[in-house]
Amino acid sequence: MFDPKLKEALARVQKPGRYTGGEPGCVLKDKAAVDLRFAFCFPDTYEVGMSFLGMKILYELLNDQPNWWCERVFMPWVDMKGEMERLGLPLYALESKDPLTDFDVVGFTLQYELSYTNILAMLDLAGIPLRAADRGEEWPLIVAGGPCVCNAEPLADFIDMMMLGEGEEQLPAVCRIVEQAKREGLPKKEVLRRIAAVPGCYVPSFYDVTYHEDGRVKAVVPNDPAAPAVVTKAIIREMDSQTPPTRFVVPMVGAVHDRAQIEVLRGCVRGCRFCQAGFLYRPMRQRSADKLNDAARRLCDNTGYEEISLTSLSTSDHSQLEPLLDDLLTWTNDEHVSLSLPSLRIDNFSESLIEKTNRVRKTGLTFAPEAGTQRLRDVINKNVTWPEIERTCTLAFKAGYTSVKLYFMMGLPTETLEDIEGIADTAQKVVDLYYANPDKPKGKSVQVTISVACFVPKPHTPFQFVPQDTEEQLREKQQHLLHSVHSKKIHVNYHDSSISFLEAVFAKGDRRLGRVLETAYRKGCFFDGWDECFHYDRWMEAFAACGLDPAFYAYRPIGTEEVTPWSHLDYGVSHEFLVREYKKALDARTTPPCNRKCSACGANKFVGGTCFDYGTDLVH
Amino acid sequence: MTTVRIWFTKTGEASYISLLDLQRVMQRSLKRSGLPVWYTLGFNPHIYMTFACPLPLGQESLVESVDVKTEQEAPDLAAWKAALEPVMPLGVAVTAVTLPRCKAEQIAAARYSVTLPAGCAAALEQYNQRQTAPVQKKSKRGMKEIDLKEYCPRIDFVCRAQELTFEMLLPAGEGLTLNPSLWLGLLERDHGAPVTGARVLRTRLLTKNSEDFS
Repeated sequence: MFDPKLKEALARVQKPGRYTGGEPGCVLKDKAAVDLRFAFCFPDTYEVGMSFLGMKILYELLNDQPNWWCERVFMPWVDMKGEMERLGLPLYALESKDPLTDFDVVGFTLQYELSYTNILAMLDLAGIPLRAADRGEEWPLIVAGGPCVCNAEPLADFIDMMMLGEGEEQLPAVCRIVEQAKREGLPKKEVLRRIAAVPGCYVPSFYDVTYHEDGRVKAVVPNDPAAPAVVTKAIIREMDSQTPPTRFVVPMVGAVHDRAQIEVLRGCVRGCRFCQAGFLYRPMRQRSADKLNDAARRLCDNTGYEEISLTSLSTSDHSQLEPLLDDLLTWTNDEHVSLSLPSLRIDNFSESLIEKTNRVRKTGLTFAPEAGTQRLRDVINKNVTWPEIERTCTLAFKAGYTSVKLYFMMGLPTETLEDIEGIADTAQKVVDLYYANPDKPKGKSVQVTISVACFVPKPHTPFQFVPQDTEEQLREKQQHLLHSVHSKKIHVNYHDSSISFLEAVFAKGDRRLGRVLETAYRKGCFFDGWDECFHYDRWMEAFAACGLDPAFYAYRPIGTEEVTPWSHLDYGVSHEFLVREYKKALDARTTPPCNRKCSACGANKFVGGTCFDYGTDLVH
Repeated sequence: MTTVRIWFTKTGEASYISLLDLQRVMQRSLKRSGLPVWYTLGFNPHIYMTFACPLPLGQESLVESVDVKTEQEAPDLAAWKAALEPVMPLGVAVTAVTLPRCKAEQIAAARYSVTLPAGCAAALEQYNQRQTAPVQKKSKRGMKEIDLKEYCPRIDFVCRAQELTFEMLLPAGEGLTLNPSLWLGLLERDHGAPVTGARVLRTRLLTKNSEDFS
């Protein structure tokens, strides 16, 4: 039976099923019989966290060890958080319902800068002191991983250790050290010293940061002999060495992405200059088609999912995609499983691909040209041309699609109002293509949705050097876009620029922002990525109270010779390459995909030799 | 085509699965079981399922059932039960697999066991002394006033340490359905009873002739 307090809280909140666990596939163990307890914390709601593939990979991997137990923790929504505070219920893990303080390691995944305050809220809700320096030996080790650790300096005061890169080998290595250290009774600092030797493990307190008078970083220097001067990310050399997870926990309350997912490849060959993931996960590595087909089948058998998604940064770049689809289609129809391919590219989208994904269920078509003119697409190295968009949309309309969603960004480097008009023109031309199709369904109209995000410059990309557009500039561009759209068939969605501003500040921030985070959290900021919970005024008060100017981080161009808060964090892509790409961008010169020609970014050091066999044709 | 009735409990964690979510959970559990259940035809095939008498969110039950169809003429019911047991979420235990004897429309009443904090005793005494207990009940045709005393003149409860328990037999099914939550709401509103930690467990479903729904 549940704790009566928990039952009381559950009776008062929306969707209580988010807080109970017990889903098919969730792992229960005898806590007296395990040597290490790991709390995998996702700093957003259950519905968002349960969609996240990384958690499924690591949950299965850790729980495969009989003497370790990995459990899940999510950020309770506002109503549940309030009930838990009112009733004095500490934040607990869904499997055992034990509080986080019962765990050896509490690990957060950092997917999004605006979830940082949720990390503080979750620690606070668990009764764990926020700052690492305030946590003695009795508290769990607080660690973090995920893409944002490429510069999570704003969290440096709160997290004991961050893990750069891919976790499949790294996280078990860390857990083995913690398990052994428990047996030896080692003090926390000694444990961290041992962990610092694991590839990609970064202990922020082992580094001192000094600043210039104007606030720029002067140097980041290790203060402990165990800490390397530069931390290099961990990486899986051969994707086929890692079996994809096949025993997902199947959520019972609808997750955002409630389907089977198979990661067909990791990394991306495209080199879009705005895309952080494209640089963090280099080089691109793919799984072989037969292994993917086996894993997909087992995953569907184990979960009962009725839809399987082939996920990656760019699924159509898999060199064996069509054979893989053929293999999958030999059994998916009979098993009532439909296929979806979320990350297709316009430039290699073929007729047979449409037909194959169509055979079971038809959904809308989504493409991301990202910019409205060819010049700007060349600047960002999104090597997509209008003829390609035209060809793909023509194919799709012939196949019976009637709605197309186009993703764009605004505020890109070198952007002018002409580029903004280009977004509207592109959408209009897609509408015109629909009506040019002689076989279009009678009486059916087309719907083109353009979704425009505000560009956020990110660390470890060639655009890390550029300032973000100011909120005034972005608002002006949004208005200009609205005025440039003349068709009722086109719907325009755009994002709140103040949320993007804060995202830029924390993406490129330094350690001094830790105080701002804590101040804002104390003022009631959490779930900042959710419009209804975003309090811009409280954030500005927090910056003012800490004597820091957010504009310094978002609106200041970074010199190519400057030391950045993340200069000591190495993702394999050299600084020289980023500078080279930045300069090419300003000249609107493109760089070919990695599998066509190596541009010497430096990430080949992880695989030894070259990333691709340029003798065979990997290009579509 | 044969209809098979799967009987299951819905307790603990599973009591927080809504009917809409339960349909999806059951769909996936049946798919995992590999049993030859019948799929609807058409563009979006799914497993044909009918739930007998859905429970409100947060309440528990020992007598839930779902009907599915199969093209097997004489399904091996013991084998069905064995295939279903390992694929259910926590709190859903498959208690039996049978061929239906009654139709869901024959359900006329349900029996509940209600557990409340001992602090609710005074409120229950007050309820027992009331002449009438009018409440508003939402129905398909809007709000309707009913007198709870008409359906349950008094509540005889047993105290045990921190808790008290009582049984209720209430109309359920196609016609009128009255749930213990109506009484809990009244006890809280009119008599200040601390009912939020209440446990409501459905123990039986009965037909008009007071036989077990089977």
